[in-house]
Amino acid sequence: MAKKKTFIEDIERTLYDIKNEDRPVYKTKQGLTDEIIRDISAKKHDPDWMLAFRLHSLDVYNHTPLPVWGPDLSELDMDRIVTYVKPDAKMAGRWEDVPADIKDTFDRLGIPEAEKTSLAGVGAQYDSEVVYHSIQESLTRQGVIYTDMETALVEHEDLVREYFMKLVPPKDHKFAALHGAVWSGGSFVYVPAGVQVKIPLQSYFRLNSPGAGQFEHTLIIVEKGASLHFIEGCSAPKYNVTNLHAGCVELYVKEGARLRYSTIENWSRNMMNLNTKRALVEKDGLIEWVSGSFGSHVSMLYPCSILHGENARCEFTGVTFAGHGQHLDTGATVVHAAPHTSANINTRTISKDGGIAVYRSAVKVAPGADHAKCSVNCESLMLDDRSRSDTLPVMDIQGDEADIGHEARIGRISDEAVYYLTTRGISEDEARAMIVRGFVEPIAKALPLEYAVEMNNLINIELEGAMG
Amino acid sequence: MAAEVVKEEVYSTIPMRTWRWLGVNEARVASSVLTAAQERRIRVPAGEKHTVVLVYRDEPAAHVQAELAAGAELQLIKVQLAEDGVRRADTIEVQCSEGAKFSYTAVEAGAGVSTTKLLVALNGDKSEADVAALYFGDRKRRIDMNYIIRQAGRDTRANMQIHGALAGESDKIFRGTLDFIRGAKGSTGREKEEVVLLSPKVRNRSVPLMLSGEDDVDGHHAVSVGRMDENKLYYLMSRGLNLAEAERLVVEAALAPVLVRIPDAQLAAEVREHIEGRLSHV
Repeated sequence: MAKKKTFIEDIERTLYDIKNEDRPVYKTKQGLTDEIIRDISAKKHDPDWMLAFRLHSLDVYNHTPLPVWGPDLSELDMDRIVTYVKPDAKMAGRWEDVPADIKDTFDRLGIPEAEKTSLAGVGAQYDSEVVYHSIQESLTRQGVIYTDMETALVEHEDLVREYFMKLVPPKDHKFAALHGAVWSGGSFVYVPAGVQVKIPLQSYFRLNSPGAGQFEHTLIIVEKGASLHFIEGCSAPKYNVTNLHAGCVELYVKEGARLRYSTIENWSRNMMNLNTKRALVEKDGLIEWVSGSFGSHVSMLYPCSILHGENARCEFTGVTFAGHGQHLDTGATVVHAAPHTSANINTRTISKDGGIAVYRSAVKVAPGADHAKCSVNCESLMLDDRSRSDTLPVMDIQGDEADIGHEARIGRISDEAVYYLTTRGISEDEARAMIVRGFVEPIAKALPLEYAVEMNNLINIELEGAMG
Repeated sequence: MAAEVVKEEVYSTIPMRTWRWLGVNEARVASSVLTAAQERRIRVPAGEKHTVVLVYRDEPAAHVQAELAAGAELQLIKVQLAEDGVRRADTIEVQCSEGAKFSYTAVEAGAGVSTTKLLVALNGDKSEADVAALYFGDRKRRIDMNYIIRQAGRDTRANMQIHGALAGESDKIFRGTLDFIRGAKGSTGREKEEVVLLSPKVRNRSVPLMLSGEDDVDGHHAVSVGRMDENKLYYLMSRGLNLAEAERLVVEAALAPVLVRIPDAQLAAEVREHIEGRLSHV
């Protein structure tokens, strides 16, 4: 009997593909030169040290080769990328003050509605600049800062200078250097010691301009004993030219603090998503990553957790869905740099219609990180034989006081599992649906309800299809 | 006095590269080692069963090529017990036709620097590879293993079971790849590595790759790295063994699944004594 296949619908993109007229008030020329960097810096009224930092980063960029591993990046021609696009909008504190076409875009994406119902603060970036930012007054009264990076650079310059690109220095890799040179926009969050931010904050990044790059910087500091849930969303309409996203996220989780960082990424399929995310976790701190990668043409994304203090912990939950024309190279890295640190990595990947899904990870236990514990579980589901699914984990353990386990599976939906469920009285169609939903459930249950629903909409399982 | 410059070349690479800082993308070997490689060709005709035992004590390098015709079976045993001062590099390449069965048992317990690459191509439908290896690192031993099983035929079976123990200041990399080629429908692959760490100065790198261009496969890999099971030690010590004896017994038990596959009882005993002797100095 021929094996049948479950049909999983491709991601519905109509909502994300609506384009606005590209009418910025200012755009740099294409390419990357000293002159362009000075131009961006002047337009943004950078302090001198930031201009020097940008120029240094450009120098590092020019001397750093492209990575020799991972997806093919030859389609990326930096001479054709516009690195700074200032939209025709000033930063607003009320949705009413955001220009109509931009506001409509965010309305369609449900951002203002989410702000009313389930968020304590919202930031919205359009092309290179943040156009809207708000935070509940009760949080402001407790000393929580949630603002765009440009405002933070003015109002909290000392803090920015202390932490900015210290975790991800420009020398880290070529696109970190690029980010250091041309960064614009992004969010700054500071949660004072002991403050529990019980309702999430969300920043949404929208890139509308064709052939442009978005290089937002997110810097979050959660002080001792404080907690925060931060949500990041990203999307763009599809163009026939390559767009580039090379954002940078730096997270500082201090002693006993907790930070959950959730991302639903749905970039258009002309996007090169070369993003860098890193967290430094101090004693008894916890970083929780929830990462959904659905969009982009090419992605390279491996959130890194440096467990720097004793008993620091990391929980990583990720799902990647690679469809036609997509090469999504995603995963996680963990560095155990202190005793009794622990990490738990749990990922699911799905590939279909010729999509390539790669799980790539590194778990490093440094000398002296006694009693480090790490458990990795990654499962890959392939829905046809035109797609690829690759798993490439590396474990590097120095010392003998570690307990490291890794497990991975690749395959299709098991006939036995369907058979088992049908013997329990469940119809075959429902059994198939349960298995596919169950496959991504670890991710769905880690998200707030509204976002789990969005994720389920992104992965729309066609129940009437056959399975294999 | 100027330090000796050893000219090296890339000996093997993993099928898919990753971060350079992990140092696992390639194995490099001194060029002088490779010039002295012993060549060995093994051809197993259709339907025949052969057993070949290779014992290496002081040869610097070996290159073994095996071809298994349809329905042929080859049991290849490799035991490497070279002295500490020896730098070694071995390549074993195996091609399997339809229904062929390749069984490989390897012991990597000697040489100061040991680099091994095993490439098994399951080209024929229903061909099989059953690979079991043990390594033991102590003192400043460097062990580098790169095992690749490429499953191209339909209904192929691959099984890779690796057992190791690391003591002293030893440093080991094991890369194990199961590569399902598009068209390898109905194939299954299993890979498991278990590593026991015996010293705070060891370094263990494990790289289990699983690559797939075919959906109708069932692949699974697992790695477990850690100290000896304290419950086992406690049990043995409660039976009168001291800690050193109990640890030795636990390590021997961990390596036993590979040792029992050596058909020559005398050789198996020699390997056991060799490892016991080294364990007694750990």
